[in-house]
Amino acid sequence: MNSIIPSDLKLNAQFTSPKFFNSFLNKRSFEPGWLVDLRKDAWNKFKKLPENKTKDERWRFSPRSRLGHSKFGLMAESKNKLTLNNEFSEELYFETLEHTILNNPDLLKDFQSLTGPDLGSEETFLLCRCLSESGFVLKTEKGVKAQNSLICNHIAPSNNESLFQTNVLFIEPFSELTIIEYFDSNDKISPGMLSNLNHIILNEGAKLNRVLIQRLNNNSTFKHLEKIELQKDAQFNSISLHLGSRQSRVESNGVILGNGAHFNNFSLSLGHNEQLFDQRTIQHHIAPNGRSNLLFKNALLDKSKSVFSGLIKVEPGAQNTDSFQTNRNLLLSNDAEADSLPGLEILANEVKCSHGATTSKIDDQELFYLQSRGITKKLSEKLIVLGFFEEIIGQIKSDTIIQELRNEVSNFFNS
Amino acid sequence: MIQPSNIEVDREKGNFHYPTSKYAFDAGVGLSDDVIKYISDVKKEQDWILDFRLKAHSIFQKKPMPTHWASKDLHNINFDVIRYYLAQGQQPSRTWDDVPDDIKNTFERLGIPEQERKFLAGVEAQFDSEAAYSRMKEDLEKEGVIFVGSTEGLRDYPEIFKKWFGKVIPSSDNKFSALNSAVFSGGSFIYVPPGVKLAQPLQAYFRINAENFGQFERTLIIADEGSEITYMEGCTAPKFETSTLHSAVVELVALKGAKIQYITVQNWSNNVFNLVTKRAMAEEEAEVRWIDCNIGSRLTMKYPGVVLRGRKARGEVLSIALANEGQHQDTGAKMVHAASETSSNVIAKSVSIGQGRSSYRGLVQIPGHLKHCKNNTECDALLINNDSQTDTYPAISIQGDDNSVQHEASVSKVSAEQIFYMQQRGLNQSEAMSLYVNGFVNDLIREFPMEYSVELKRLIDLEMEGSVG
Repeated sequence: MNSIIPSDLKLNAQFTSPKFFNSFLNKRSFEPGWLVDLRKDAWNKFKKLPENKTKDERWRFSPRSRLGHSKFGLMAESKNKLTLNNEFSEELYFETLEHTILNNPDLLKDFQSLTGPDLGSEETFLLCRCLSESGFVLKTEKGVKAQNSLICNHIAPSNNESLFQTNVLFIEPFSELTIIEYFDSNDKISPGMLSNLNHIILNEGAKLNRVLIQRLNNNSTFKHLEKIELQKDAQFNSISLHLGSRQSRVESNGVILGNGAHFNNFSLSLGHNEQLFDQRTIQHHIAPNGRSNLLFKNALLDKSKSVFSGLIKVEPGAQNTDSFQTNRNLLLSNDAEADSLPGLEILANEVKCSHGATTSKIDDQELFYLQSRGITKKLSEKLIVLGFFEEIIGQIKSDTIIQELRNEVSNFFNS
Repeated sequence: MIQPSNIEVDREKGNFHYPTSKYAFDAGVGLSDDVIKYISDVKKEQDWILDFRLKAHSIFQKKPMPTHWASKDLHNINFDVIRYYLAQGQQPSRTWDDVPDDIKNTFERLGIPEQERKFLAGVEAQFDSEAAYSRMKEDLEKEGVIFVGSTEGLRDYPEIFKKWFGKVIPSSDNKFSALNSAVFSGGSFIYVPPGVKLAQPLQAYFRINAENFGQFERTLIIADEGSEITYMEGCTAPKFETSTLHSAVVELVALKGAKIQYITVQNWSNNVFNLVTKRAMAEEEAEVRWIDCNIGSRLTMKYPGVVLRGRKARGEVLSIALANEGQHQDTGAKMVHAASETSSNVIAKSVSIGQGRSSYRGLVQIPGHLKHCKNNTECDALLINNDSQTDTYPAISIQGDDNSVQHEASVSKVSAEQIFYMQQRGLNQSEAMSLYVNGFVNDLIREFPMEYSVELKRLIDLEMEGSVG
C-alpha cells in the first residue's frame, strides 16, 4: 500500500553531487546571471528536501522505488534530444530552450515566478529547474491562429542516462494553436529516464489543443509534470496516449484562474508486461464559471498496473463551476491491477461536480458475440480496446491524428 | 402538512448536565501505566487483560497521529487532561427502580420514551464508564443470548469472547484503537447462539457526562451460524467548556450465514472528538450491515468496515452525515474483499450547513485471485450555504479480470426552484429547507427502524433551524 521508501535520489546519482553541479554551472557560464541564480536556488531547495520517511498520500498505491532517479545516475548529453518543425514568423516563436537561452533569454524572464504541479514530485521539479538544458519555448503574439499543427519530437536518453527538460508555452490572448508532442526513446531496448516539465500559460481567450503520444521503450522511465494556468475564457484541450515506458508518473495541475475558462484533460493508457502508469491530477477552480472535464481510461494487460489519483478542488469564490472527473479501467488479465483515488474538495455551493470510477473486465457476452462471428479472441480484445478508447480518440478534430492514434493502438496488439 | 413528530424530546443543548463530584471510582486525569492498572484493579480483571491493556498503551505511545491525511484538528486533543475512567459503582442496576433519580432524569431529558423501555428487548444504557441500567427480557436469556458489558463478558464468558476479542481490530490498528484497548470500559458484549433470530433490536444508549472525560467503550458482537441480530446505539453528550473525547472500538463477527445489522445515531455535542474504529468480519454467506448516522460532534472520524472473509459474504454501509457550523464529519466505509463471490455496497449521503464540512473517505480492495466480486459505491453531498464544504476521497484498489467495481459521487446544492415551489404552498423558508434535506436523505432513513427514523427526522429539523436567511 503506502510506500515508506526513503528517497534514493541522493545516493547514487552522479548529478546530485555538488561537484557535478559546479562543473555543470561552469560549463554553462554563458548563461545570464538570473538564470544561474535560478538554477542555484533550485539546487539549494533540492538539497534541503526532507527524506521521505513518512507516508505521503500523494504517493499512495505507488511503488515509489520504481520511479526513483538512482538507476539513471548519469546525465545525458542534451544534443539532438528534441526536434521541432520550426515555423518562423514574427508572431509565433517556437524554438528550443538552448536556442532561446543563447539568443532570446528575455523570453524566459517570467519563468522565475512559475511553479510546478506540486503533486508529489518536488525532487523531479527541482532537478528540472536546476539541470534542464533542453526543452522548447513557444510564445505567440496576440490573436495568432496557426493553420498547421506544431510538432515536437522528444527523444529520451538510453544507456541508463537521465535527461531533464523544461518547456514553456506562453499563449497570448485570443491565439489558437495545436501542438503534437511525440516522446520516443533513443533506441529500442536500453533504459533511460526522461523528466519533462511543462509550464503552460493561456491568456484571455487563448486556446491550445495538445496531443501527446508517449512511446518510450519498455525499459525506460518517464516523468511528466505540468502546470496549466488558464485566464479568462481560455481553453486547453489535452489528449494523451501512453503506450511506452516501463514506469511512468504523470502529474497534471490545471488551474482555472479566470472567469469561464475551460480545461479538458483526456488520457489513454495501454499497459502490458509490468508497466506502471502512475497518474496524479488536479482540476483547481479558483475563478467562477469555469468548466473542467477529465477522463482517464486505462486498459491493462499482463501484470501492468495503473494508479489514478484525481482531485477536483473548487475554491469558495468559484461559483457556477461545472467539473467532472472520470476514471475507467479495463482489466484484461488476472494479474493486472487498477487503483483509483478520485477525490473532491468542494467549498462553493453553486456547483455541478461529480466523479466516477469503474474497474471491470471485458464483458463476456461481447467477447462471445465477436467470437461467434469467427473473430479470434485476440482480435476481439483488440477491437474492444479500440472501442473503449474511441470515446476519447473520436473527439479529436483532425482525421490524420485520429488515424494515427488508432494505428498506434492497433500496432500495439499486432506486435 | 403532517407534522414530523409529536414525541416529547427536549434537546436543548447544554441542558443535560448534572453534578459529577460523587463518582465512586475516578482514575484522575492523564494516562499512565498506573491509571491502567487502577482501572484493571477496580474491575478485578484477570492478568491477561491487564497485559493486553499495558501492551496497547505502549502501542498508543509509539503510534503517530494520522495527520498526514486527516484533519490537523486532531493535534488539539490534549491526552493529559482527559479522565480515562469514572464510575458510580461496579454493579449495573438490574431494575429501573434502582437507577438513581438524577440519572433517570437525564434519561428522561434525553427522551428515551417510556414505551420504548417497555417493549425494547433489552436496554443497556451506558452512563459514563459503567452500564447504569441493564435489563434483559427473560425469553432472550432462555434462548441463550448473552448481552452483558465488556467487564462481565470477559470475566464470566471468557470461553466465548476471548477468542474474538481484539481480533477483528487489533490494538495496533491505529492510534485510537490502541488508546481504547488500553483504557476500555463499558460497552456491550453480545453472543447470539446458532440459529437464533432476534425479532426485536437490542439497544444501548451512550452518554458522556463528566467534563474532560473520554469515553472508551468496547463492543463485541458475535452472531453464531445462521443467527440474526439488530443492534442500535445512540450517543449524546451535554455541552462543556472544554472538549471531550469519545473513542470506541466496535468489533462484529458474523459466522456462517449470520446477519448483523448495527445502527448508530450519533448526536454528541459540538465539542466532542468522536474517533471510532468499527469493523466487522463476515464469514461464508454472512451479511453485515452498518447503518450510521452522524449529526453531532466537533470532529467525527469513523469508517465502518467489513472484511468479507467467506464466500458469498455481503457487506453494506449506509451512512448519513450532517455537518453544521464548526463541525467536521469525516466518515466513510471500508470494504475488504478476501473471498470470491463477495459483494459490497456503500451509500453515503452528507449535508453541509453553514461552515460545516463533511468528508467521505472510502477503501475498496479486491485482490486478483478472487472471482466474481462486486462493489458499488455512491456518495451524494448536499451543500446548503455558500461557505459549506464537502470532500470525497475514495481509494479503490482492484486486481484481476473477474471483478467489478463502480464508484460515483456527486455534489449538488439546494434547488431554488423546489424551495420556491414549497414556499408557494405555504411553508416558510426554513420548513421548506428542512423538508428538502429530509427528502435528500429519505431513501436511507427508510432503512432505519421506526423509532430511529422518527427521531432522526426530528433531529434534522432541529439542525436546520436558523440555517437559512
